[in-house]
Amino acid sequence: MSTPVPLAPPTWALKVEGLGRIYGDPSAASLAGTGPEHGTAVSPATGAVVAAWDVDFDVAPGEALGIIGESGSGKSTVMRCVAGDEIATAGTIALRGVDAGTTNIRDLDPSARRRLRLDQISAVYQDPAAGLNLDVSAGGNIADPLTAIGWRNYGRIRERAAQLLSRVEVPLDRMDDPVRSFSGGMRQRVQIAKALANDPPVLLLDEPTTGLDASVAAGVLDLLRGLLEETGVAAVVVSHDFGVIEMLTRRVLVMQHGRVVESGLTDQLLEDPQHPYSQQLVAAARG
Amino acid sequence: MRTDITMTTTTQPIADADTGPAPGAVLSVRGLRKDFTLHTIDGRTVGALHGVDLDVGPGEHVALAGTSGAGKSTLLRCVYRTYLTGSGHIWFRTETGESVDIAALPDAEVAQLRGHEIGYVSQFLRSQPRRSVLSIVATAGVARGMDREAAHDAAAAALRQVGIDEQLWDMHATVLSGGQKQRVNIAAGTISPPRLLLLDEPVSALDPANRAAVLDLIARLEETGTAVLSVFHDLDAIERLATRVVVLGGGKVLATGAPEDILRDPSLPLEVAR
Repeated sequence: MSTPVPLAPPTWALKVEGLGRIYGDPSAASLAGTGPEHGTAVSPATGAVVAAWDVDFDVAPGEALGIIGESGSGKSTVMRCVAGDEIATAGTIALRGVDAGTTNIRDLDPSARRRLRLDQISAVYQDPAAGLNLDVSAGGNIADPLTAIGWRNYGRIRERAAQLLSRVEVPLDRMDDPVRSFSGGMRQRVQIAKALANDPPVLLLDEPTTGLDASVAAGVLDLLRGLLEETGVAAVVVSHDFGVIEMLTRRVLVMQHGRVVESGLTDQLLEDPQHPYSQQLVAAARG
Repeated sequence: MRTDITMTTTTQPIADADTGPAPGAVLSVRGLRKDFTLHTIDGRTVGALHGVDLDVGPGEHVALAGTSGAGKSTLLRCVYRTYLTGSGHIWFRTETGESVDIAALPDAEVAQLRGHEIGYVSQFLRSQPRRSVLSIVATAGVARGMDREAAHDAAAAALRQVGIDEQLWDMHATVLSGGQKQRVNIAAGTISPPRLLLLDEPVSALDPANRAAVLDLIARLEETGTAVLSVFHDLDAIERLATRVVVLGGGKVLATGAPEDILRDPSLPLEVAR
């Protein structure tokens, strides 16, 4: 898809319009009877799972947008479609860094799509094993995206890896140890360092602190907050935890049964939620 | 549902005395209504504001008065967009002289205004966890366009002004007392003053000496041209600071006028004894 390049670049770094992902029959017949008003994401007609449908949002540089919802709401599906881990069934995904936002990156071939992950869009997953090779050293994991975009000088690669590891507060004397020997919190820090290696303009975070001990999670959250403030990256934070969303984001989408049921400023969503499901979520989180 | 949050500009429509902004006002609230629908409690609807109009000009301090439950804090939160407006308009004149309706502005634009032009100081400091006192205040300055070094110096000056001991500056705000938190909050709210400052009982937890220092700080905002809309617990503070008082009752404006007139009117339902 190619349209003339607009005169002014877009103000957003990432824009998603009408994003959908259906597992099973992708025809319109699968949509009927699914969504919050029907209480299910499973099509009664075709048995397909409408994991996400009609999802719209954009994120500006230096801004963080949250996506909240319980397990199965579709929030991680949205993230995987934007990251390119899955191919969306419908919709447009545009990055300002790719043809000034005029190309739907969903249409790119798989190798072009993979290349975007090197320096345009990075992801940090709940499970560090999804973003790292645990049998490779911390430095080696970070060197990966650097060499993939053409870094060749060994000294400079080590220097950049050391710089990133010290930014995420991983002791430099652990740089050559395999990540498998690291604690959960340290693995997550290495994953974040790797994601930032080539200064991507867009960073996707999927439950970045879920499963960590409270004190370790707090340290990783503080790190992420500092990075989001300093780097000017546009971030999407997917979490079921209001504490994480409140700390990292200014705006938020609420998802249920594959659809966005509400969007708003994060404090507004917490203080004056509109949708019945948002009110339930907030009541459960706040007690 | 529409989640389009593209940056757009809501400009002032053809001037309409009933729904448009007052000329020169920083804030013009028109016909503001707010209900809460509680889906978790059998869908009950609770009315809070039933058509409020008010204006605040540059350098003006408008204090909201009225009994508990009159809608004072609800009004402040609607203006800040922590609460969504049911109907009506909340016109805000931006730095560039443009009128935008906060009630209808896209979320991303409200977020921008909050950083730069609209400040909110609540009764409680809801600080983010594990952030130092100095960083909370300096970050507010950076958000309003100061460079980091200038913000750091201004934050230090503001903290001294509200009497926060220097040895507390690098501590996390969560360990402070209620009164200390409140002073940190006001220091963050007034550093590089925004065009519009919303104050919700900012001195409620302060002892007399600290209270006086904070009231001095708020009084000086007049010189910077900041428009202030406030809720104060005590009538002394209103008398000292307000250029105009708006009395709310049952979600409506009951009276508006100079503090000396309003506060001495025995027919008006005010929260505290005169």
